[in-house]
Amino acid sequence: MTALSGLTIIETAERVCGEWTARLLADFGAEVIKIERPGGSPTRRYGPHVAGPDGKDGSVFAYCNTNKKSLVFDLDSEDGRAMLAKLLEKADALVDDHDEDWCAAHGLDAESVRAAYPGLVHCQITPFGQGAPKDRRKAWPINVANAGGWAWHTPSESAAGDVPIYGPGRFLQDFDSGLDAAMATAACLYDQRRTGTGRSIDISEVQVQLSRADIVIGRVLAGDDEPNTGRRRYDMGGPGDVFATKDGFVHLYMTTSRHWNGLREIMGMPEWAEEFPEDWLEFHCTPDRVAVFRDHFRAWVAGEERNDVSLRAQKLGVPLVPVNDAADLSANEQYRHRGFYQQIDGTDYPGVPYRMTASPAQIVSAAPALDADREEVLS
Amino acid sequence: MSGVRQRGGPLAGVRVLALCKVWAGPYAAKLLAALGAEVIKVESMSALDEMRAYGGVDIEHAPYFISQNTEVLSARVNLKSDEGIAQLKEMIAHSDIVLDNLRPGALDKLGLTFEAMQAIKPDIIQVSIKMYGTEGPLGYQTGYAPSFAAIGGLTYLTGHEGRAPRGMNIRYGDTTAGAAAAFGAIAALHHRERTGEGQLVDLSAVEAISSLVGDRLFEYALTGEVPQHQGNFHAELSPHGAYPCADNGWISIACDGDEEWRKLASELGEVELGQDPRFASHAARIENRAALDEAVGKLTASCNSAELATKLRAAGLTAYASASSLDLAVDELFWAKEAYRMVENGNGDVRPVVGPSWSISPDGAEVSRGAPTLGEHDDYVYGEVLGLDEKEIARLKESGAIS
Repeated sequence: MTALSGLTIIETAERVCGEWTARLLADFGAEVIKIERPGGSPTRRYGPHVAGPDGKDGSVFAYCNTNKKSLVFDLDSEDGRAMLAKLLEKADALVDDHDEDWCAAHGLDAESVRAAYPGLVHCQITPFGQGAPKDRRKAWPINVANAGGWAWHTPSESAAGDVPIYGPGRFLQDFDSGLDAAMATAACLYDQRRTGTGRSIDISEVQVQLSRADIVIGRVLAGDDEPNTGRRRYDMGGPGDVFATKDGFVHLYMTTSRHWNGLREIMGMPEWAEEFPEDWLEFHCTPDRVAVFRDHFRAWVAGEERNDVSLRAQKLGVPLVPVNDAADLSANEQYRHRGFYQQIDGTDYPGVPYRMTASPAQIVSAAPALDADREEVLS
Repeated sequence: MSGVRQRGGPLAGVRVLALCKVWAGPYAAKLLAALGAEVIKVESMSALDEMRAYGGVDIEHAPYFISQNTEVLSARVNLKSDEGIAQLKEMIAHSDIVLDNLRPGALDKLGLTFEAMQAIKPDIIQVSIKMYGTEGPLGYQTGYAPSFAAIGGLTYLTGHEGRAPRGMNIRYGDTTAGAAAAFGAIAALHHRERTGEGQLVDLSAVEAISSLVGDRLFEYALTGEVPQHQGNFHAELSPHGAYPCADNGWISIACDGDEEWRKLASELGEVELGQDPRFASHAARIENRAALDEAVGKLTASCNSAELATKLRAAGLTAYASASSLDLAVDELFWAKEAYRMVENGNGDVRPVVGPSWSISPDGAEVSRGAPTLGEHDDYVYGEVLGLDEKEIARLKESGAIS
């Protein structure tokens, strides 16, 4: 039994953002019944197809649908919609990520759902939110990243000719949107437990992107920072960056004289560093100085090993850290200590970032085969 | 009585005591406030949130601070005085959630371990945000958002193909960690509602980042091959990328299938390109994607990004201009949706802020007050919440416990 045990959530989502929302709720023991179209969820297409009992299932589907049940209905048919209605009568929440036209055509717009199931929490995730102009109702994650401003400013210190980058893979924006959607849904379910109130939740994926940059965009809106077309408006201007080591990369972040003094010590008090005022990071952090620093530091750190130099830095309170890849994290002693990876059938699943003393999140079952739970759910 | 107004919302009646600084913690606090929780930020002149100092003329007008502490109350508690600590314990006794992102061990030093908080309030929920969590072999380490991104695997996987990894923009990371903490807090509320039991929610900011690249980490677990950064590559969509436009603009375009690709070629005025055998199937487009991206980029280069995006969307394609801070600021949809909204700060100014990503109805929480001035809610917290009389509050101010 964990935090959301006893709650039933119907998932009609067909994109990763909605699937991820329901997975976050399923992590805490909510019963999530996933409605798949005949042939399966469109997200089953995402490769590599190396998961599941035969090693042929899509890995993204396998990752985003643990702890769930699968039921196939055709929501384009009367029968399918009648079956969904039956499930919704007994459910606590509905998670959906279809566009408004689809929802209206299937009787799943906010108003119809509210009228039919007043006690239900209904979460809808769309690129620009409900009521967006007709031509802003479909977007892929790369579009969300670009429309929401992060791509324009990624990587940091991009020049005008550098291609904006959308992220580390295909689903960053979906995962971030799912987090806000799960949070809002869980909050409304909490009040539903207390008072029986149902609610409609309208999540805008692009607004999630804006919210994640609140202190940057807030200052731009207020005029503390001029809004402009520069690629560096989100940057911080300090010497922080990725640097190559002998065996990979480290990231250095440095803003205080304490950081600077610690770093000098690790570097063995080099002579070139004497020319920097002790408080240069606080009060004299000019682009020239940053460039000179980086040249020297780059040359020095290239001869170091990433984990060793990071450890020495951390002991002096300098935020110098390794740039980890998937293998590093799999072996990371802290991740292992906290149990970040949870195993099902001998495979490591990245778990959740919160350890909870009373109601831990648990991945207990692999993603369902298509229609695997028909009998159990309908009986 | 000063009172605080009833704002409604799904977390109405939940009180959060926030011992939070900089960004991740205050962001978590702000999200809970946006869902209706009463968030009391514990502050002191002797240990200010650094954000009250960044870029401002004074602590009541610091741009970073007032950009983020929307609908948060401020009560002064001097944690360097015994009487201050005693008052903080009283506040814990009157709270549902204690949220902190102080340095590892900082609360322990004040005698406020989770066990000590439980002794004060048996069903307390503590939500702790640390870079690596509260304990363990690397639990002592500290860092900032870009450190989280580097450790958590995001930085390695983000960058231009053929160049060193660079990560997302340096600002990315704190807010996602804060959002994960807020979600953990709400899960703990459910558990308490069901069982009466509180708990410690121990958030690792680096693991919050790893959750954003979980699909890539899972790929590694399945194949043993270490995933690499791949620019704007997408295995299932082609073309897929950001393409240059006039005036240093960029447009993001994603095509799903041959039909969309041929339509794109035609909309860009090069029907023949859609017939080019190098790009005839998705597999071929992936195989020849450098040439594909170059060919598309040549056709977009002279267009205005926003106009081209509108035209492509009208044709049923999925394309959006890449938005600069100027584009973001002037988009009327964001004002209409209250993604941006005006709030009144404790300092009396009316200021735009970025609101939450959700609208909730019926009974979403009212979000109309901005950041508080330091100690703006002292009288409410000490008087109404803790039940002290005016004389005692005056004495605590005099003694420096409230300062």
